[in-house]
Amino acid sequence: MRSRSNHGGSTGVVRGSGVGSWTRWLIIVAYFTFLILPLYWALVTAFKPQEDLLAQPPVWFPRDPTLSHFGSALHRLEGLDGIKNSLIIASASTVVSVVVGTAAAFSLARFATGGKHLAFWFLSQRLLPPVAIIIPVFLLYSRYSREWLGVQLIDTHVGLILLYTVFSLPWTVWMMYSYFRQMPPELEHAALVDGCSHWQALWKIAIPLAAPGIVSAAAFAFIFAWTEFLFAFLLTSSDAKTLPVVLVGYIGLFQGNLWGETAAMTLISLIPALLLGILLQRHLVRGLTMGAVQG
Amino acid sequence: MVWPAVSLVLLLSVFPLVFSLWVLFVEYDFSVSNDHPWVGLDNFNDNLIDPVWWNSVKVTAILALSAVAVEFILGLLLALAMLRPFRGRRILMVLVVLPLFISPVVVGGFWDLFLRQPIGPANQIATWVLPGGPVTTNFTEDGLWPYISVVMADAWQWTPFMFVVMLAGLSAIPNDVYEAADIDGAKPRQSFFFVTLPLLLPIMLVAITFRFIDAVKLFDIIYTLTRGGPGTQTYTTSYYLYYQGFERFHLGQGTAGAWMFMIVLSVISFWLVRRLLTPVEA
Repeated sequence: MRSRSNHGGSTGVVRGSGVGSWTRWLIIVAYFTFLILPLYWALVTAFKPQEDLLAQPPVWFPRDPTLSHFGSALHRLEGLDGIKNSLIIASASTVVSVVVGTAAAFSLARFATGGKHLAFWFLSQRLLPPVAIIIPVFLLYSRYSREWLGVQLIDTHVGLILLYTVFSLPWTVWMMYSYFRQMPPELEHAALVDGCSHWQALWKIAIPLAAPGIVSAAAFAFIFAWTEFLFAFLLTSSDAKTLPVVLVGYIGLFQGNLWGETAAMTLISLIPALLLGILLQRHLVRGLTMGAVQG
Repeated sequence: MVWPAVSLVLLLSVFPLVFSLWVLFVEYDFSVSNDHPWVGLDNFNDNLIDPVWWNSVKVTAILALSAVAVEFILGLLLALAMLRPFRGRRILMVLVVLPLFISPVVVGGFWDLFLRQPIGPANQIATWVLPGGPVTTNFTEDGLWPYISVVMADAWQWTPFMFVVMLAGLSAIPNDVYEAADIDGAKPRQSFFFVTLPLLLPIMLVAITFRFIDAVKLFDIIYTLTRGGPGTQTYTTSYYLYYQGFERFHLGQGTAGAWMFMIVLSVISFWLVRRLLTPVEA
């Protein structure tokens, strides 16, 4: 064992943390055990043959791993439909939210539309608890949209796309707003002087410069729509069921016979999380705190 | 250029709220009839006389506070531990934030798989680790365990949030303040308590506020992990409102409860956010 010095805060002790190197590794190992255990369990459950699922004591390393749960979840139990619906709804709401949100943010940041109040009004939407509007939205979607407007919104892709767009808008608007405000307006001014219109200044100057912000706003909007459960659960029944709804259906309906399928679908639902998690590393802090903390 | 965004929010967030002002005062029950007689304040009263409502408010407060506390402590410890670069740190950073991008219902499902009595390994692990005979706890039913399980699952998902924000805060502290503390003869522990903590305080408050505002809305993990059970013991307010509105179809009562919940939450969140915006005296 190497002995470590405890002085000076440069070798043994993490700068200013008061945490010694042993404590430090203990924390890391303990936390990652906590993090990985349930993930590992879902992973092996997804590949366990049926007879291992209920075995006592629990099986940690299945002898004959099988892909059958993936097959039956995807093909027999609406898994593919769920993935397809989720992809459609998440992508469409991401695109709409980013386009509409970026336009609004640009206007708020450059022309101070509505003063500070309008920006805060968008932000305040984020504080609303979703249960506060679920009942009226449910009534409007299931009944009044048809009675008043002749539009079917319940159990449709469009219904959820609109709703998810609105839910992620505070995020996109606020993130892009803080992004645009940091960018010097001189570049756009120069473009205007050179004869560009406002639209061209936005399209050719501001948007390319704000591209990293747009990417992270889009990723957050996508993840939101990909993981949302309550609204999808109450507003869809067959045609537009998203992945989380399909997945929870396994737990509710078949009481314990579908553990393998549940785990398999869970793993599939993690794929975008993993990809976007890697993509977002650098923008995570700003995105999570809506710009309140600059990472 | 703001109009598309503004009109979408008006249409699908503000209008439903305004519309629900009518539902508040009528009897709206799918299972009874199709006309909606005016009932005054009965919908509010139905919640206020229900002991389950009051219990759900208590459960929500306790669960949110404990979850945020656990997440804060774990997140801070982990950020301190992972502040300095080491081999493999990049991979761990990707792994550690993974739960943030997972659907909360799926997180509840994970923990259900893990804790559930015959098929999950939780009791087996407890038996290995703890002295004494075999452990056979039902983690979603026995004693305080349902609450602990929910907090654990929530902490599994949201500790990374605290971690990421704290890590950003810690990395932003310039080295010279530690050098200065060093020259003045501060011990590592002292420089933690008298340099790091005060400098980190504003960011800690931001992290706690953001997390708390979300934690009080707890629904999804409850839905897949305990289903509000045993009995109604782990009903959070969100779960209670869901139950009233969509399992018993008392839509008027659910709406009234939602309004009360929303008003209380807005007051708390507004107060918290306001406090954040006023500069902290260093």
